[in-house]
Amino acid sequence: MGKPAGLIQGTLDLLILKTVSAGPVHGWAIAKRIQQMSDDILQVQQGSLYPALHRLEQQGWIESAEKATESGRIAKFYSLTRAGKKQMAVEVGQWDRLSGAIGLVLKRA
Amino acid sequence: MLWLTKLNLRLRALFQRRALDRQLNRELAFHLAEQTAEYLAQGMSPSEAELAARRLFGPVAALHEQCRDERRTRWLEDLMQDAQFALRSFAKSPAFTLVAVLTLALGIGANTAFFSAAYGIMFRPLPFPSPDRLIDLDDGIAGVGSVTALRALARAVDWAGYYPASELNLQLGGESSKITATAVTSNLLRVLQVAPARGRWFTAGEENFGQHRYAVLSDRAWRERFAEDPAILGQTITLNEEPFEIIGIMPANFAFPSANTELWVPIHMDARSLGYMWGDNDLWPIGRLREGMSLAAAQGELRPVIDRIRPMFPWRMPDAWGTGAQAVLHSKALVKDVQPKLFALSAASLLLLLIACGNVANLLLARAMRREREFAMRQALGAHWSRLIRQLLTENLVLVLIGGAVGLAVAAAILRALPLLLPKDTPRLAEIGPDPALVLAAVASMLLTVILFSVAPMLLLLRQRRESVAGRAVTASTRASRLSLALFGVELALATTLLIGAGLMGRTLWQLANVDSGIRAASLVAARISVGPSRCGKAEHCWATLENINRTLLENPVVRRVNWADNAPLDQNLSAVAVEIEDHPKPPGAPAYVLWRTEATPGYFPALGIRLRSGRLFTAADRPGAAPVIIISQATAQRFWPNESAIGKRIRTLSELQWRTVVGVVSDVAQYSLTGFPSWVDGVEYFSLAQKLPIDAGNIELTVFLESSQPQAPVTWQASLHQRFPDIVISHVKSLAAIRTDSVSNQRSTALLLGLFAVLGLLLGIAGVYGVISHRAQQRTREMGIRLALGASANQVVGMVLQETLLVSFLGAATGVLAAFGLSRFLSSLLFGVTARDVTTLTICPLVLLTAALLAAAVPAQRASRTDPALTLREE
Repeated sequence: MGKPAGLIQGTLDLLILKTVSAGPVHGWAIAKRIQQMSDDILQVQQGSLYPALHRLEQQGWIESAEKATESGRIAKFYSLTRAGKKQMAVEVGQWDRLSGAIGLVLKRA
Repeated sequence: MLWLTKLNLRLRALFQRRALDRQLNRELAFHLAEQTAEYLAQGMSPSEAELAARRLFGPVAALHEQCRDERRTRWLEDLMQDAQFALRSFAKSPAFTLVAVLTLALGIGANTAFFSAAYGIMFRPLPFPSPDRLIDLDDGIAGVGSVTALRALARAVDWAGYYPASELNLQLGGESSKITATAVTSNLLRVLQVAPARGRWFTAGEENFGQHRYAVLSDRAWRERFAEDPAILGQTITLNEEPFEIIGIMPANFAFPSANTELWVPIHMDARSLGYMWGDNDLWPIGRLREGMSLAAAQGELRPVIDRIRPMFPWRMPDAWGTGAQAVLHSKALVKDVQPKLFALSAASLLLLLIACGNVANLLLARAMRREREFAMRQALGAHWSRLIRQLLTENLVLVLIGGAVGLAVAAAILRALPLLLPKDTPRLAEIGPDPALVLAAVASMLLTVILFSVAPMLLLLRQRRESVAGRAVTASTRASRLSLALFGVELALATTLLIGAGLMGRTLWQLANVDSGIRAASLVAARISVGPSRCGKAEHCWATLENINRTLLENPVVRRVNWADNAPLDQNLSAVAVEIEDHPKPPGAPAYVLWRTEATPGYFPALGIRLRSGRLFTAADRPGAAPVIIISQATAQRFWPNESAIGKRIRTLSELQWRTVVGVVSDVAQYSLTGFPSWVDGVEYFSLAQKLPIDAGNIELTVFLESSQPQAPVTWQASLHQRFPDIVISHVKSLAAIRTDSVSNQRSTALLLGLFAVLGLLLGIAGVYGVISHRAQQRTREMGIRLALGASANQVVGMVLQETLLVSFLGAATGVLAAFGLSRFLSSLLFGVTARDVTTLTICPLVLLTAALLAAAVPAQRASRTDPALTLREE
């Protein structure tokens, strides 16, 4: 499996991995949490969220289990695998380098 | 272990698809429910909230599809779906499937079998280390004296010597039997770079007479004759009445010079025995290039070395002796004789495969045309053309896989039968078998086949697409139908070529069957009798033994007459000697005359039906003490003394001192082969057996000719002989007719196999013609109906269909004849009495094919002419 195809997709993957790393969480909560943490700037559409979750799962970075929520409904909870932790570290590093570099260009140009 | 996790995920995606889909549904429903709950919390009414949530969510089915695509097993699911569909549709048309699979299996099977046989015999590396450094002498020198001298003098090559084929009498527990044994020089294993599995090999000193009584067993002989007794080493066995100590056992895969060699003994050099050292050509050289030496270096030193060996002979050798010697790779020399035949058979199997491919392609084309509507519909419903092609490919792949699997079984069966079909002296026959090359060949031919099959329907499909865009009226099926007509033309061309090859071989067999061998004694029984030195050590003694055997045989009421010779005609022994002929001196340097020699008793000539032309036959008086006499054949007399009587002329064998006087001239006989003598044989001579016994004190092998009133019952005389002389070995009991039949086994097996190919090719071709023409006739039903309605007669309609067949078949057959013209030169070395451009064969074979094609087309043509015009017009 190669690298994320574009910046947007790669970024979404990174955001999902980071969110999931906090503990088992379902798709709805992931979308909500990304929205809250970014002060409502980032809104993840379910049209891209669920395919991304399934892709990450197929790559073995996250795993899932069905459990009852507090309200008693069955939901699919995702959590990070060991390979996912490594992948997250890699992607965080990449993101830091990229954003740092862009910041430098914006500052100095 | 990430890959393990991934594999697990993919397998779940494949095999728990339903469960995963249900889970996905629940997941998306949960999201929708949470969204609805949120809207409810914002104060919307329940129905508003649900509607708003759904609107936000978008089409569920599309999202569902997107998530499923992330499982990356879509292509496999499609493939399996297509394969299932293909299997279902094949099951629905069993006739098509059966014909296609059988055709494919036949083509692939025959091809795989013959190519792996040809590879196994011709190209597979010999089972020795660095086999490309092993060399032979072509047209070279042979014999114990010459080869050991060559070994001593050559610098570039380590030369060893071996007897290509010989048998010894093995006495074991009071029973005598033949054992296939070969005498070799002590350095043979160094040359072949093989070591014994147990015990040791011969030392250099054990090549000398008196020290030579050691033997090494083959693995098979050790198992079959000595029950794998590990204590056999050091024990003594009796070979030709002499004790030999067993000192070693070879590994199981060691098969030199042939797979049935059971025992090796050292040569026994004895300077006093001129006959053994210099008198025959039985020890053949094989060598290994020394470190850093090339084939060119080996060839370069041959001339000077042979020039030094020539004067070592106890008599003067012609200056040309050995000058034609060529150092050649052993692997090449080994298969020189079978090469043309294997090439011919491989080419024939390739033609068969192509015909089979053409047939299946035609079948698939016809099928595709029948499904034209289905595909058009699917395209109209939005199926992408690449998806349709993928489905066609899958279908073909499934078909070829089934055909290939059956084909492998066919190949295995052919390979098992091949050793029985090919002549026994084919080299490396025992090594032929299924090997990786076989599988490789099968895969390659299958791949080629699937590409071939897919291309035609694919072209059709693409064209259909283009034309539907261009809005042209020409339907794809008309085009495809023309394509299948062309394919059938090509098939017929290939079948014609095959048929001509088989025809030429058939004519060869026919000619061979009608060769007059000059022998008039088909029911005479010949048997090889091997007598040890205790009975044949001295000439007088030996003669008495033969007379005793005669008496014993004649005691049997069935046996009428008994005669002897040193070998039987046409049994493929070489029996040529260099001679000097009176009145015909050779200039110095020219090769000596070579005569074919047979040593025979007086009754030999009448027994075989050889007629006296002038002078006299041998009599009982032509004994050792009497004047040495000789009889020559009519052709020999004609050649050397065309204008005078040959009687009284003298001939001398180069290895002897005395001249022999010609006392008789007899009719010509095919002693060597039905196709004549080799070009280097100048004539035929006969010695009186009594004057030739024995050459050396040792084992003697003779052929006895029995005239019996019941040639079909040979057992009784063998039993009585065995009872009286238990140490004498009887072998090769055969009628002269059987010997004659066996002598053309090479041509017969080629003709048989080629004939088989041709018949199969013809059948496949005919089936193809029938299929194509009936399909075309079916397509033109409407046109035929209109023609009939407008007043055409049934005969005219038949004529129309046949005209097309005739045109295509004629073009095909003509192309086939041209191809056969080019290919048949590969056969020419196997042909006899007919040239590769034989007009009869080149005319009759295409005619057979044309007739067969017309007959095959006549059935659908008849059917077309019976079209009911009313029915057709109503359909309009």
